Amino acid sequence: MATTAPPESFPAHGDAHDHADHDHKPSFFARWFMSTNHKDIGTLYLIFAICAGIIGGAFSGMMRLELAEPGIQYLDTFTKLFGVANPDFNQTLHTWNVLITAHGLIMVFFMVMPAIIGGFGNWFVPLMIGAPDMAFPRMNNVSFWLTVSGFCSLLMSAFLPGGLGIGSGVGWTVYAPLSTYGSQGPSTDFAIFSLHLAGAASIMGAINFITTIFNMRAPGMTMHKMPLFVWSVLVTAFLLLLALPVLAAAITMLITDRNFGTTFFDPAGGGDPVLYQHLFWFFGHPEVYIMILPGFGIISQIVSTFSKKPVFGYLGMAYAMVAIGVVGFIVWAHHMYTTGLTVNTKMYFTAATMVIAVPTGIKIFSWIATMWGGSLEFKSPLVWAIGFIFLFTVGGVTGVVLANGGVDDVLHDTYYVVAHFHYVLSLGAVTALFAGFYYWFPKMSGRMHSEFLSHVHFWIFFVGVNMIFFPQHFLGLQGMPRRYPDYAEAYAHWNEISSIGYAVMAFSLIVWFVNIIYAFTAGKKAEGNYWGEGATTLEWTLSSPPPYHQFETLPVIEDAGHH
Amino acid sequence: MATANIQHRNRRVGFTFLIVALAMLALGFASVPLYRIFCQVTGFGGTTQRVTEAEAATVTASGMTMSIRFDANVERGMPWEFRPLQVTDTVSVGARDMAIFTAKNLSDHPITGMASFNVEPEYVGEYFNKIQCFCFTEQTLQPGQQVRMPVLYYVDPRILDDPDAKDVEQITLSYTFHPLAGANAIALDRTGSGG
Amino acid sequence: MGHASPWLPRGEMGGVLSPLMEGESKKTMIFGKHASAAALAIKAFCLSLALMIAPQAAMAAAPAAVAPVGEVSADAALDAQPAEGAYVRMAPTEGKGMPVPGGLGLQDQYSPLGDYAHWIHDGVLLPIIAVITLLVLFLLLFVMARYNRRANPTASRTSHNTLIEVVWTLVPVLILVGIAVPSIDLLAKQFKPAPAKALTIKATGNQWFWSYSYPDNGEFEITSNMLNIPGEPIINNGVRDVGTDPSDGPSHLEVDNRMVVPVGEPIRLQVTAADVIHSFAVPSLWFKLDGVPGRINEKVLMISEPGVYYGQCSELCGVKHGYMPIAIEALPRDKFNEWVLSQPGGAIDHQPAPAASPAAGADAAAEPAATESPAPAA
Repeated sequence: MATTAPPESFPAHGDAHDHADHDHKPSFFARWFMSTNHKDIGTLYLIFAICAGIIGGAFSGMMRLELAEPGIQYLDTFTKLFGVANPDFNQTLHTWNVLITAHGLIMVFFMVMPAIIGGFGNWFVPLMIGAPDMAFPRMNNVSFWLTVSGFCSLLMSAFLPGGLGIGSGVGWTVYAPLSTYGSQGPSTDFAIFSLHLAGAASIMGAINFITTIFNMRAPGMTMHKMPLFVWSVLVTAFLLLLALPVLAAAITMLITDRNFGTTFFDPAGGGDPVLYQHLFWFFGHPEVYIMILPGFGIISQIVSTFSKKPVFGYLGMAYAMVAIGVVGFIVWAHHMYTTGLTVNTKMYFTAATMVIAVPTGIKIFSWIATMWGGSLEFKSPLVWAIGFIFLFTVGGVTGVVLANGGVDDVLHDTYYVVAHFHYVLSLGAVTALFAGFYYWFPKMSGRMHSEFLSHVHFWIFFVGVNMIFFPQHFLGLQGMPRRYPDYAEAYAHWNEISSIGYAVMAFSLIVWFVNIIYAFTAGKKAEGNYWGEGATTLEWTLSSPPPYHQFETLPVIEDAGHH
Repeated sequence: MATANIQHRNRRVGFTFLIVALAMLALGFASVPLYRIFCQVTGFGGTTQRVTEAEAATVTASGMTMSIRFDANVERGMPWEFRPLQVTDTVSVGARDMAIFTAKNLSDHPITGMASFNVEPEYVGEYFNKIQCFCFTEQTLQPGQQVRMPVLYYVDPRILDDPDAKDVEQITLSYTFHPLAGANAIALDRTGSGG
Repeated sequence: MGHASPWLPRGEMGGVLSPLMEGESKKTMIFGKHASAAALAIKAFCLSLALMIAPQAAMAAAPAAVAPVGEVSADAALDAQPAEGAYVRMAPTEGKGMPVPGGLGLQDQYSPLGDYAHWIHDGVLLPIIAVITLLVLFLLLFVMARYNRRANPTASRTSHNTLIEVVWTLVPVLILVGIAVPSIDLLAKQFKPAPAKALTIKATGNQWFWSYSYPDNGEFEITSNMLNIPGEPIINNGVRDVGTDPSDGPSHLEVDNRMVVPVGEPIRLQVTAADVIHSFAVPSLWFKLDGVPGRINEKVLMISEPGVYYGQCSELCGVKHGYMPIAIEALPRDKFNEWVLSQPGGAIDHQPAPAASPAAGADAAAEPAATESPAPAA
């Protein structure tokens, strides 16, 4: 791919600002609360995502605890945590629905998206294309704080009345009519409003990324020389831009159905609840690619770096992501196979969905081909990346099973689906996040983490998540429905193992935190390019951490010839 | 110079994509009427067709017969008794036929209801034509009042040429009465907290 | 309780009563309690991986531990059989129409299309995805062994190979086409409509129970609530504890009034909902269809052999979503007719056979008619 020439003098900024001092930083408050610096905003996003992830992860821990054996054991206690003194049985069961709803919304909108797009995207897209900052730095700041206020709105919803208890228990999909006349009280309104805020933040972010990537590339950085991570963020930004407004429209109509007597999704007034599902999944399916595509980009950078080879089939990789993005918009109804679609509709969506396996397969095989003939160095990011490739493959092939409309009749809304999307997200996107974290943490912080602890973290995490989610395939095949707080005795065995797996996984996160603390207290100072010859993208030409304002003299990308 | 230039270009590109986002937002809202029109035109989701007397007069009956099943539901908590007079009927394809449903208000106050409907199998929706139907308008029943509600319909003979529909021996026409959202719905429990 | 039902919750079986709603949640942390189970967990994980290597073998091995406990209740049901002609609630068979403890694969299927779909999953999809996963795993292990820094100090610069890129695009396409053929065929078969004379039953989802109406059998309707789980709060105004009748199946799955259907003939099953969306799902019959308020959905249900088949609501519908199971009791036609006549206003539906008169009230008239009637061609 592109190599970097010694920066020539190039008057990028003109003389509009005085940038005499590279490390001229504003005061603490101005720097962290009114930040317009893409690196600071990226850092804020990462810290925010870690906090949200801890809360969302704690919710999943509560769920696994309750599911460890049949019967209702702990929900009563959890209900008291939400401020109900003497919960009745309905309130207790309602708490379960609040947990599944909050876990889903937090992990999707306030953990994975802020971390992978807001965090790594903000940090490294400008660095990788040789830009001094994002195109709209102030809008970038607005995006972040909208995301935070969305999260606050969601947290508030957990303590307000909704339905038969406290909190919103309508599932992350917010299906009408359960979310309209089936769930009274302000809680669900706050939960929906949190999606408005997070959605607006993401749309602004998307416009920012698209403009940055289109307009702010350094001289010589053509589209086909951009690192694949930048490509992945570009495709993701387009998905956000096209999908999120549709969600915004759908949930706005939910709000008016709930509060202003409209009947967009209410059969009593000629509305159709199934239309809500069409709109939701028109957003929801691209959404899953929004979460995983930047992960693909991160993995491509890492695999190339530690193989000391350029990415195999660069153009195929870039356009495979474009293909995944495009096809991702025309497969939504595979989430709705049991709603009463006609045979022709189901056949179409079955065929279209399976098509996605082709570009996804191209990516998997291209990563392996990148390593083929390479000189692999098993540093922590590569170990995580290889883990990602395997786990994502497992999640991907079960997706091929679920794509079949006729087969989905037995698997739809069972734990098989839960296992599938956690393999691609919890084990896919999150593994990619950890890979990216270890890859770039020293670049961001200036301190090296412990390679040993990173490997320990990986292996415990790997065992833990597989123990959680692999048995869930068995539960799903046996017919255990999802979103159940309680189950028949026959499902006890694998649920117990799944819950033990959660404890293993949670332990690995402690190792991770220890590693971060180690890096900041005893970690050695990171050089500019601490991964060596394989790391060829522009961020490695800068110091670690990079100067507060980088590329005041724009780098010029030489044509490295045919790549 | 360079900075001003790049800012100008950024604003132009950013504004362009803001328009794209707003267009998608508009499309999201427009999807409600568009979906309704789509269903009405194609029969998607088992949506029946509405035809005028004049249109119906042009259709000639074929010799083939089709069994029609009538199904009636009321939304939970709505104190109406609603049922078809006949569970099934056999009609000739293309010939118009009348089906009668009866509805009775079991409560002590007037209730206005509106019926939603579909046919199964769904893909015959485009061939199931209604000339008159109680489902076209709101229905108000006084306390204790019982009414007969007619549906005048025919099955379009084009169904006989559709390879997808060749196995269809019976069509179910289903109605569900809902309390009209709004004023008189207050008395009814729509919170879903029953049971 | 007269019978030790094999399906009582674990707390009841082990004599450890779970004090649930009184706020005395268990003091012992579950993870601590199961510390000794770590070995088991590792074993399970290995088994998980083993499943990917030898799916069929692992599947065969695991359910071997299932005790043949169904006999107790089956015998009891036999003893209790009253004079012939009257309907007797059927006792389920252990492991049939319900999940099996520790089960690894799909539930055994009891419908022709279920058998076909089961074969597509176990015979086509599972081997293909296992091979693909193993191939990726093998390639990863191979490059890790062969192309690590020690084994291959100098990296090549290869970044293109058109041939291999075409191959790994086209081969997956061919595999997917291979999957699509039986998959599309299955869909076509699933959507073949029921004959005009097929018995029609309508299942309506309510918060939080199912009701079943029989428009062809005198339009009677039955309400089906989950039976109480012993030691747990009463849910859905349950009438009695599960296990107090010898014919009761597993807790969480058994209901007071089952949906009774005839076996061996296509049934037009229509599903709707009265409040929010529910989903009518029975895994052992390969059946799942959403009940959407304001509309009906329909599909053909065809059950191959008599038995009790359990399912659960499969669309989030509110607080007791987990407590509105489905139990289908499939009976031979004559027994089904007896059940119909035992219902208030029950009348035998128009049968394809000529003798079946809808007015037949007497068992004597109904039985010969039913036994003669051949199952309608599916």
